[in-house]
Amino acid sequence: MKNMYDHRFQSVEEIQQEFEKGGYICSKEIATCLYIAFNLQKPMMVEGPAGVGKTEMAKTTAEILGVPLVRLQCYEGLDESKALYEWKYGKQLLYTQLLKEKLNDFMGDAETMEESMAVLHSKEDLFFSEDFLEPRPLFRALKEKAGCVLLIDEVDKSDHEFEAFLLEILSEFQVSIPEIGTLSTDIKPFVFLTSNNNREMSDALKRRCLHLNVPYPDPDLERRILNSRVPELRGNLQQNLVDFIHKIREMDLKKSPSISETIDWARVLVLLHAEELDKEFVQTTLNTVLKFEDDIEAVNEQLDGLLESVHSAA
Amino acid sequence: MQAVLEDFLKAVRSHDITVSSAESIEAGHTFELIGFENREILKYALSATLAKNLEERESFSKCFDGFFSFESFKERTEHAEEEKQIAQELAEYQGDSELVKMMLAKDQVALSNKMKQAAREVGITDIWFFTQKGIYSQKIMKEMGSAQIGEEIAALSGGTCPTAAAQANQLRQVRKALQGEVQNFVEQQLAIYGANTNKRLREEFLTNARLSNVERRDFHRMHEIVRKMAKRLSDTYSKKRKQTQRGQLDFRKTMRKNVAYDGVPFETFWRTKNVDKPKIVAICDVSGSVSDYSRFLLLFLYSLKDVLSRIDSFAFSGSLVEVNTIFDDYAVEQAIEVALKEGGGSSTDYGQTFMDLKRDRLENANNLLNIDNKTSVIILGDARNNYGDPRTDILKLVFQRAKRVIWLNPEPVISWNTGDSEMDKYRPYCHLVSECSTIKQLNNMIDGLLKVSFG
Repeated sequence: MKNMYDHRFQSVEEIQQEFEKGGYICSKEIATCLYIAFNLQKPMMVEGPAGVGKTEMAKTTAEILGVPLVRLQCYEGLDESKALYEWKYGKQLLYTQLLKEKLNDFMGDAETMEESMAVLHSKEDLFFSEDFLEPRPLFRALKEKAGCVLLIDEVDKSDHEFEAFLLEILSEFQVSIPEIGTLSTDIKPFVFLTSNNNREMSDALKRRCLHLNVPYPDPDLERRILNSRVPELRGNLQQNLVDFIHKIREMDLKKSPSISETIDWARVLVLLHAEELDKEFVQTTLNTVLKFEDDIEAVNEQLDGLLESVHSAA
Repeated sequence: MQAVLEDFLKAVRSHDITVSSAESIEAGHTFELIGFENREILKYALSATLAKNLEERESFSKCFDGFFSFESFKERTEHAEEEKQIAQELAEYQGDSELVKMMLAKDQVALSNKMKQAAREVGITDIWFFTQKGIYSQKIMKEMGSAQIGEEIAALSGGTCPTAAAQANQLRQVRKALQGEVQNFVEQQLAIYGANTNKRLREEFLTNARLSNVERRDFHRMHEIVRKMAKRLSDTYSKKRKQTQRGQLDFRKTMRKNVAYDGVPFETFWRTKNVDKPKIVAICDVSGSVSDYSRFLLLFLYSLKDVLSRIDSFAFSGSLVEVNTIFDDYAVEQAIEVALKEGGGSSTDYGQTFMDLKRDRLENANNLLNIDNKTSVIILGDARNNYGDPRTDILKLVFQRAKRVIWLNPEPVISWNTGDSEMDKYRPYCHLVSECSTIKQLNNMIDGLLKVSFG
């Protein structure tokens, strides 16, 4: 049987190379964390501002390992029936309705109450079999024979109850379904949990995970990311763009632009055949980078100074 | 390797990072996997296993750099050649004991190893206080065999031979250098293992000290403590909660969801009630009589701003001044100075203050700000009214309208009602009157307040 852990990463450098081939440029820190998480088969908690590529990391991992990515998006009110499994009540109901006619044949020669009960008991499990089970992400992850990458996105949005439930899954990788039995897996999924630090996670959950903090990248790394994602954008313009973004990040903004915004903006530049980063162009396209009106205004006010320093640096 | 890891974990713990035994095992696996070859990667790897948030990552980084960087016996290499020459000139005395041989041969690596081994023998990792430096240095020297050097020196200087005397002198010098190295080493170890002992003791002291006894120079530390407390409160209470009202079926939602099942209510939904965050009006006395306290009370109010988005803060001495905007606009230290300046200055007048409160928060045109049955009112003050009219009638009005009125008095209970203190007149119109003179008491108070609000 194929096992995703057959794919061995020999070293941290190898991870860096493989991920680069997959279009994900990772720093040494990220690669190290991936390396130990994979080899020790531990869940990995990835923290950082929105848009620095936390989710992308999981996707790329799945691609490289050649296993499916199972994603569970957390939100307030998420519970077991949405995360693990649910019975298909409708189908059960429909089947019982359809089978009503057949009921007499079933019962056939059962005369007494006891006998009919015994007959019913022998059939009961039919309705609580996997045919009537609606698998949800966690269930699917445990069912993957060759292993999978399980992405539990924005775990900080979930409730405390769900966090407690996750603990059980993450340590045992098995769940018990009262009607069917225990479902477990030999091959642990490679688990990523992402968090935007909306709230502090419980110590118990933290203890079970490796921790990785993904900050905004330094200019060099960001340029490499742009090279890989928007290869059409080259040279001076790319340099200016990255410098400009870094200047904005130093400002006190509601939401600083992250990598995904940089990439978007680079694509806009390419699309509009921009030759250079001039004032008019920045003013008209700033809304791809900044998402709040206040932020856009704040940057617009200082636009001349920002552009000047960017151009003089280049 | 096991030993190194153990020592390292000890060092990590002393840097205020909790490491459970499960995590130690994890760290062991990581060590095995990564090895010592690449320090940078090892650092990232261990950081991922051991540090759990940004703060811890920073202290971890400091701890790691400190632990894996002692560079003893190295500085002297520049002079080594020179010294070697002198040593050769001084007849070929090789020494008897192993230690002396090492010292004379300037075998840095061996000496360094021997020192570390000796340090391990005497249990250097238990070092906590700077006062222990001397004793540990001595112990290490002894363990390394300083006694033998002494004997050799004595033997050499015993005779009259000038070469022997010179050799003895040389030995003395080398011993002195060794002593310096050991002291240096112990100092480093103290920095690693005792890093936070002093800080912790100080924090514990400050938490329990009467606010009036806390000195200005501790303000920064105090801020740190208060921030931590406020953070903890915020972690516990900041999430909006819903409370299920048991037994009340949300009929509409249940029907809507169960249409698919032919109207058979498989999935039931119960009515829920949003539990609001508590609305708090805090009034802080900043007059001369409590000026020692007010600085810290304002600090606490400032920190609470993050926990309770709906805290409505006032400062007063002669009259009431709203400080919400000040808190919003300035950084903490500045905000407190401004609040003290705006609010303070005149002699305490509770009567005027309550009249202002009535105007601003009981008969306000903007209804939302008014004190209503969801509001908790906290008054921080000593109730010393300079024999003026206490205006208890207004406090009574507040008492009738608010959910709770809490009076926190920084003076010890014994001095209440002495002199111009009006505590007894105000007491009937408060749900709770309590002494509150340390940060810990203040914290417990607020904790209780939030608990009741959510409970």
